[in-house]
Amino acid sequence: MGYAMDIQTILFVTKFETLWFDALASLLDLREAALEHVVFLNVIEREKVALHRGRGYQKREEIKLREMANIRFIDWAETLFEQGMEVGAYIVVGNLQQQVIRTSEKENVDLIVIGNEKKKRFELFFSPSDVIEILRRSHKPVLVYKYRGNGGSQENKPFQRPLIATCFSNTMRKVFAYLKKLDRIIEEVTIVHVADPGKLQQGSAMAIQKTRLVTRRKLDEACDELTAAGIRATPKVYVGDPVREIEIAARECNATMIVAGTAHKKTIAERFVGGTPRALVEKSAFPTLLVPPDPD
Amino acid sequence: MSKQVLIVDDDPDVRLFNKTVVEESGCTPLEAANGEEGLAILKDRKPDLVILDVLMPRQSGIRLYRELKTDKALKDIPIIILSGIAKKTFLRSQKALTEFGGETVPEPEVYLEKPVEPEQLAQEIHHMLKS
Repeated sequence: MGYAMDIQTILFVTKFETLWFDALASLLDLREAALEHVVFLNVIEREKVALHRGRGYQKREEIKLREMANIRFIDWAETLFEQGMEVGAYIVVGNLQQQVIRTSEKENVDLIVIGNEKKKRFELFFSPSDVIEILRRSHKPVLVYKYRGNGGSQENKPFQRPLIATCFSNTMRKVFAYLKKLDRIIEEVTIVHVADPGKLQQGSAMAIQKTRLVTRRKLDEACDELTAAGIRATPKVYVGDPVREIEIAARECNATMIVAGTAHKKTIAERFVGGTPRALVEKSAFPTLLVPPDPD
Repeated sequence: MSKQVLIVDDDPDVRLFNKTVVEESGCTPLEAANGEEGLAILKDRKPDLVILDVLMPRQSGIRLYRELKTDKALKDIPIIILSGIAKKTFLRSQKALTEFGGETVPEPEVYLEKPVEPEQLAQEIHHMLKS
């Protein structure tokens, strides 16, 4: 399958508490690639305007929230319009996940940008976050920006030095296609594979070295592919807990963003929800770009 | 036959407001909720006047305005811009698009910033349709 992966249109999902214009401003170097259209989405959650016993639907509250969002979007849109960009805005009442998916399809966006609100462990355990649900359901890449109060990275340009975390799945083809189009704005890519320590324990020293060699060769091939596309790429092999090691690797190579492919939805959806991408979204301090596989 | 005025705005409350003013002015309103719908109606119905918002989904008023003013068949249809976006932003945006290789487009005939009084909008509609 051929990948048409230019990032021409971004869907910027904001609740305002979690994602501000500076996050979008940090992505505007994508204009040097293909970005020309930003769609803003603010979803007013139903519980803010409805479901209050004895009070019915609070139309006034809805109008107030709409106008507050509208004022912010007008301000943001003016900045982008003046640069010759195309801007659209949606302010809707409803379910966040549904509205994000619906709007991303309606506007045929190439990237969904969303903030991740830090929640307490208890909440996460019993109620998978909206971001995770969007990742599960979306066919579009999702860039999860980390909440300001989350101790997250404040890097200005996420696409400058991405770290690709790979397990050599088929989705990596798509990740590469996505990044190759950004050769003008990417300074350097690090490709990291985290080997399972359990597998290493079972083999002899020779077997372990062989595993490392095979992995390293695969990484070298991946780096060569990006280098041929004009992007400097460096391979790294780590061993241990994937999320922890990816985070360490990102810090060591001064990465601006972590990139990972997500698992195939139909076959291992549940594993995906509990897997590395989920943990990266929830735990990593770095902006995280998750690229889903193509739909069947 | 009454004149047709196309209202392009994504906000249903604003469309209702504009529709009422248009009807009170003795004209027939046509409605579109975004730039794409607006362009389709423009090509199909060729209205006598357009009241155009700027910040909308699917296609902004800035792009729709540019399409209209560079289309030989549509460029003479007068346009009232009615938006929360400042006029200077609109003009800078058009300038930027021209610098990116687009055609130069004229300034809009009338630019009103929201909110607008119904009397003022009615007056502009009368004025535009007379001239």
